[in-house]
Amino acid sequence: MADISIKHLVKRFGKVEAVSDVSLQIADGEFLVLLGPSGCGKSTILRVVAGLEDADAGEIVIGGRLINFIDPVRRNVAMVFQNYALYPHMSVYKNIAFPLQIAKQSKEEVGLAVGRAAAMLGLENLLQRLPGELSGGQRQRVALARAIVRAPQAFLMDEPLSNLDAQLRIQTRLELIQLHQRLGITTIYVTHDQIEAMTMGDRIAVLSEGVLQQIGTPQEVYRRPANVFVATFLGAPPMNLIGGELEWVEFGWRFRGDNIDVPLSADVTSPPEDGNPADMRQVKLGLRPEHLRIGPPGETGGIAGQVQFLEPVGSDLFLTVEAAGTLLQVRTDPDSPLQPGENVSLLFDPWRAQVFGPDGQNLRRDTAPVESAAALAPAAAS
Amino acid sequence: MAVQAGGVAESDVLSQHAQEYASAARRHRAFGITKGLAAYATLSIFALIAIVPFLYLLSPSFRKSYELFSYPPKWIPSSLYTGNFGTILHQTSYPRWALNTLIFATSVTVITLIIDTLAGYAFARLRFPGRGVLFGLVLGTLMIPTAVLIAPLYIMISRLPGWTHSGINTYPGMILPMVCSPLGVFMMRQFISTLPEALVEAARLDGGSEWLIFRKIVLPLMKPAIVVLGIFTFMAQWVNFLWPLIITTTNDMKTLTVGVSSLQGQFVTNWGVISAAAVMTMAPVIVIFLMFQRWFVQASMAGALKQ
Amino acid sequence: MMSTVSAEKAWDELTLSEAEYRRAGARYRQRRSLRAYLFLLPYFIPFIAFLLVPALWSIWLSFNRGGILDPAKYVGLENWRSIASDTELTGAIQNTAVYAVEAILLVFTLAIVLALLLNRYRKGSNIFKLALYVPLLAPAVLVGLIWQFLTNFDFGFINLALDAMGFDRLNILGSGRLALLTIVLAEVWRGLGFWTLYFLASLQNVPEELLDAARVDGARGVQRFRRVTIPLLRPMLLFAVVIAIIANFQVFDTVYVLTQGGPYESTSTMVWFIWKRLFQFQETGQGYAAAVVLLAIILALTAISFRVLGARRKRRA
Ligand SMILES: Nc1ncnc2c1ncn2[C@@H]1O[C@H](COP(=O)(O)OP(=O)(O)OP(=O)(O)O)[C@@H](O)[C@H]1O
Ligand SMILES: [Mg+2]
Repeated sequence: MADISIKHLVKRFGKVEAVSDVSLQIADGEFLVLLGPSGCGKSTILRVVAGLEDADAGEIVIGGRLINFIDPVRRNVAMVFQNYALYPHMSVYKNIAFPLQIAKQSKEEVGLAVGRAAAMLGLENLLQRLPGELSGGQRQRVALARAIVRAPQAFLMDEPLSNLDAQLRIQTRLELIQLHQRLGITTIYVTHDQIEAMTMGDRIAVLSEGVLQQIGTPQEVYRRPANVFVATFLGAPPMNLIGGELEWVEFGWRFRGDNIDVPLSADVTSPPEDGNPADMRQVKLGLRPEHLRIGPPGETGGIAGQVQFLEPVGSDLFLTVEAAGTLLQVRTDPDSPLQPGENVSLLFDPWRAQVFGPDGQNLRRDTAPVESAAALAPAAAS
Repeated sequence: MAVQAGGVAESDVLSQHAQEYASAARRHRAFGITKGLAAYATLSIFALIAIVPFLYLLSPSFRKSYELFSYPPKWIPSSLYTGNFGTILHQTSYPRWALNTLIFATSVTVITLIIDTLAGYAFARLRFPGRGVLFGLVLGTLMIPTAVLIAPLYIMISRLPGWTHSGINTYPGMILPMVCSPLGVFMMRQFISTLPEALVEAARLDGGSEWLIFRKIVLPLMKPAIVVLGIFTFMAQWVNFLWPLIITTTNDMKTLTVGVSSLQGQFVTNWGVISAAAVMTMAPVIVIFLMFQRWFVQASMAGALKQ
Repeated sequence: MMSTVSAEKAWDELTLSEAEYRRAGARYRQRRSLRAYLFLLPYFIPFIAFLLVPALWSIWLSFNRGGILDPAKYVGLENWRSIASDTELTGAIQNTAVYAVEAILLVFTLAIVLALLLNRYRKGSNIFKLALYVPLLAPAVLVGLIWQFLTNFDFGFINLALDAMGFDRLNILGSGRLALLTIVLAEVWRGLGFWTLYFLASLQNVPEELLDAARVDGARGVQRFRRVTIPLLRPMLLFAVVIAIIANFQVFDTVYVLTQGGPYESTSTMVWFIWKRLFQFQETGQGYAAAVVLLAIILALTAISFRVLGARRKRRA
């Protein structure tokens, strides 16, 4: 077991820069999730760590050892692939035993280790089958067993659940969390499913187009998104963004825009030195759908709007409200009697609002920029 | 069964529809059957065209030579005469030629399979500078006419500087120049490329050296391609004519094709003997072909030839 | 926490300097490449010795006189000049082209039709596949015998059939056009099984869902074949055309056993021409020069095939 640091990693494929100067510090035993849209370079980072691709620049250090120039074999990391990569001509037993047999362990040792891994994943009765005779979930568990059997320093998992159906995915997710708690092996887990990221990760690193956008605990990343990309990538439906300007009025910030004039808390950004700085003119106010409340029309401090559509999803009701010159998503009580066409005002707690500058970065002072070491240090290494 | 008036009319209409439907279906089926018959007839004709000439050749081998040119021609021999085969077995070096051919074709096949799968793996799954260039070079040599190579190869084998013996009339001299088929490497590379890359990568992380990955993961999965390339190579070498013709001068080193063609001089007019020899040349390949036929008919070539 | 602190310290500066990093990377990749070369070595030793060296050697010999039985003597462009004005070579090129066009068109048409039939009517298709394949197993000598038997003036099947139908007998191998046609038919007969199985395998690689989708979209049989199957088969077709060109421009065995280039050079193909210069006339230099010409022709045709058949694919991708 070991900590992993990725320092200023760059990886290019021809002209495409798949990973641009990404730095990550993963503590011993941490479960880090790499999250981002398709093609943002998640798999590439994982494959560079595993040694399946060469870095163009930057260093990978595992357990204090620089591994850039060490064969994949000797990096002592185990990888779980999206489509499992089980050896089709070997039985489940042989698949799991393969890494140990290569390491020339004695027959008894191999048998014991395979038995232990199989028991941990409930595969005892499937050992003689071929991978082709297993269900997707079972194959996934065999792949996991093969990964854990040789007690690697770190696990690398590339969307291991994406080929499973919804129910099995939830179940396997729980099993993976338990497995991690039991073994405590440092894990880098790639997904583009934000639910997986939020529920599994000690911390989440959000990537876009090869660039690290933010890293933090799931709560931090969700509540204090570092920029517009993170704000809209996380959450379903995503955070509402309203264009307008910030103004410092009597020891507090106000946000003004098309049909909107609301007070914000003083800490959305630092107070101006003198007068309003120029870059406060083109900002975006970010409000999550669940942080908006419906009030009667004309409420002070509210945003006037008109209900357009209702989307009941069982546990919640999603409203589309035309307000502040745009369409806003609101999450509300499914039993609400609202009808399309009704006039309402939208209320929110000022301290929940985020404001993003013209460059898309969150203006809040306590949202540490990505580059700082403080943000990169593991928050709560479990 | 009391049916009301309106009901009668309605059921009439219905049954009329049903009849129309049935006859349309019958027409459709009949059309289908006709098409099917035409298809099978076409296939049969071409199958016959492929096979019949052999039977045409087979029949003289079971006849005495004076029967051959009887008029009107008889396709089926009046009695089965096996003397031609006896002549081949006892008056020629057929057994020796067969042994030579077996040694030659088997050795070329085994060596080809080994070196082509190794190179195919490197081209498909390993990284090294010059991969594209070397592979292009291999494919480029596909275009070199065999006739061009024959003479320099003959010179090399017959008197390579430093060789104490000439390679003429030796097995190594016969076998080695035939082992590098560009098409084989191409086939193996294409086939390995179709195996999921993640398998090799997983094995790499599981701690396998490339050699071990090749042996334990890639090779077992390549069986269809290996069988197909093996049969292709074996059959091609079994009937190889030009090279054995040039590289053997003694009767004892001849292969079947060369030996049999020399019979044409020896038994000039005896078509019966010559066709018996031809039959005996082909028989072993046919047997092998039938033994491995399922690899061909299952279109497992698909995998091997896939782009 | 200790480890975190120490890792943090290492954070800002990388462990290796740029030069060290580059050197270590180069060494690492070198070792990996070395392993790959070890896999290639067993193939490339005979490849160089028995393919590359003879090929280059023949190019060298095209500028020489002699070289097989007697020592080579450099003569510059003499061989090239003499083949350039050799009408037999122009004839051979023409014969080869006519032969190749006819043979490839015929064998591809037949093979595609048979493959489509075999793909559609699968019951009992194994028998047909096996039967079609058998001619490929015949040694060239045997192919020669068979076609001599078939075309013989006195007792050949074709002439007996013509006789029976009341037509005049034909001296098939004795007339130029018919002799070349016989070569075409013999080679088509030989290769039909291979190409049928090749196209069948390609057809079976066309995903069933795509054809189903086309069927649902209302595409009829012929349309489906043209719009869905053919484009998907394009890469397979390209490969087939290239291989067929390479093989057919080297046609030799059949000529050797059936006609020996005759009558009056009307079935003299390029390789036959090369063969004669090399082993009959002792004009080895001319033979090698002609071989280089053949190589150039094949290269050019392959390039054209890639241009014509490969282009659409690129545009689509
Ligand atoms: N072998 C390769 N050759 C060329 N480009 C590549 C290669 N592998 C990845 N890329 C490119 O690098 C970028 C990052 O790819 P990567 O596979 O890391 O994305 P990803 O985040 O894992 O996406 P997904 O969620 O779809 O798996 C993409 O633009 C991709 O096209
Ligand atoms: Mg990926």
